[in-house]
Amino acid sequence: MENKRIIISYDIDGTVVPGDPPGRISIAMINESKKLGYIIGSASDRTITDQTRIWERNDIQMDFIVLKHNLSTINEQFSPLAGFHIGDTNMDEYYAKDAGFEFIDINGDFDIFWAKLLSGALM
Amino acid sequence: MITEIDNSWKRDSDGLGVWEHRGKVAIAGFGHSPVDRRWDEVSLDTTLGAYAILACQKAMDDAGLKPEDIDGIVCCPTTIAGNSGGTASNWAPRPYFDPPFDSEQGITRVNADWLIQQLGLHNVKFAPASAPTISEMVGLASQAVGDGLCTNCLMIYPTGNLTGRYRRGGPNASDMAPGESQWTFPWGNHGGNDFINIFPHQEYCRKYGGEHDDVAPFVLNQHRNGLMTPWGFNYQNDIPQLTKDDYLTSRYILRPLRLWDCDRPVNAAGAYLFTTSERAQDMKQKPVYVLNHSEHNFPFKTTQPTLDEIEMWTDKTAERMYEGSGLTASEVDIFNPYDGYSIMSQFFLEAFQWHGVNRGDAFAFYDGDITVEGPHPFCSSGGNLGNGRTRTAMYTDSIEQLRGTAGARQVTVKAETALCAFTTPSSGGWLMLGNSPD
Repeated sequence: MENKRIIISYDIDGTVVPGDPPGRISIAMINESKKLGYIIGSASDRTITDQTRIWERNDIQMDFIVLKHNLSTINEQFSPLAGFHIGDTNMDEYYAKDAGFEFIDINGDFDIFWAKLLSGALM
Repeated sequence: MITEIDNSWKRDSDGLGVWEHRGKVAIAGFGHSPVDRRWDEVSLDTTLGAYAILACQKAMDDAGLKPEDIDGIVCCPTTIAGNSGGTASNWAPRPYFDPPFDSEQGITRVNADWLIQQLGLHNVKFAPASAPTISEMVGLASQAVGDGLCTNCLMIYPTGNLTGRYRRGGPNASDMAPGESQWTFPWGNHGGNDFINIFPHQEYCRKYGGEHDDVAPFVLNQHRNGLMTPWGFNYQNDIPQLTKDDYLTSRYILRPLRLWDCDRPVNAAGAYLFTTSERAQDMKQKPVYVLNHSEHNFPFKTTQPTLDEIEMWTDKTAERMYEGSGLTASEVDIFNPYDGYSIMSQFFLEAFQWHGVNRGDAFAFYDGDITVEGPHPFCSSGGNLGNGRTRTAMYTDSIEQLRGTAGARQVTVKAETALCAFTTPSSGGWLMLGNSPD
């Protein structure tokens, strides 16, 4: 299952439902990506404590929780085949590229990306 | 019912002596709306206008007044997101709503006229159209009451925020720096105080020693105080206490300025009720007397101020405030300077020499005990950093400390006088408050 070598990184505010503002990605969707075997986590400007609280409240076991500007550090931890960071601002894009990830704009081509994620066609 | 005024009311020069209305004006009430990160673009009961109405009602209730008692209103009619806020500044071209939300008024802006209509303030006789920011508005309201232009004056400061990058629209969103902006915004920055104060802050570190991250204890303490402020953003949104590690690992916004050195734009409104000291005696709350107000707008010699200039400006401001209030540094109990960027506060602290802090001493002072429980409760309000970018925390905390109603933030030292401000080193204003009119 190649999904085990693919990182899906979620920004929080403006991207996921528990964010402020709430984004499009529901907790169920995040759970689905976890079940499909992807390496999932969050990369936000919120403190680690704050991010951790959000996932604990929503009963999600993240594989990583990092500050957005430290997204590149998870490459060393997971040696992924590919990484995707889903976010809503040009800062998300900047740090996604900095980490060598593909940036997925939640307000852009997200639906196409998500369909590929569900069908295992990201690679 | 809009009143045209000029700038002659301002106390913005040297040698003005003790304020002629010292102790004759009082703050008798205040009110805050909830503090949201931004308007959700759906709920009309959480618009900026709805929140301004709510804050006014709370301020009147706090003082024990009714709308018909109000004869003055001072409201900032501009959007805090600024002209270059882009999508964060204006609701249009999106469709408006049913009245009273059928224009930008009530959504991204609130002015005196709109509030007079919504609140039924039929007896207002003083409502200046030009009320720039809260720093000048508190001075204007104080002066207006002192001069007899009105007796019960509501002062409202709405701070709006919509979805979108705050102050990053218009020219600020451009990749180009055409014309004179090549000299002022060469890197596309909007020229806010993050940029303006970075150079003097670095000069400060070089001149007096220390490094940028020495402001961390101050920032952490602002967050701590914010978590003891029930109306503030951090308290209301269950934001975890910022740790030193959180601060030191946060990303740079404009090196060395970190994310947590900057305040968080919010959607909120605060209101204050100014009245005569005589009338205040019969109102619900213990009066907090205005002992002086001062405004300043120092011209820049170059596009970026230097440390010398900032120290000169803040020294002048301190001199004017002490002269106008008749107080000295050792007589100021509560000190709530502005902290919209953390690196501004040291300049004010040292200029006013609060608790004996002189030029170059701020970092060592921050490293001591500045908690509200301790001997040096600096910025007991938590300011913007601890409460969101309301620019009101400094004023409300000062009032609460003097009333003795600051709750968990109540200082353990004497609280009979307070200095508070929204100001940058170059422009803004200060207010001196006291428990006694004398």
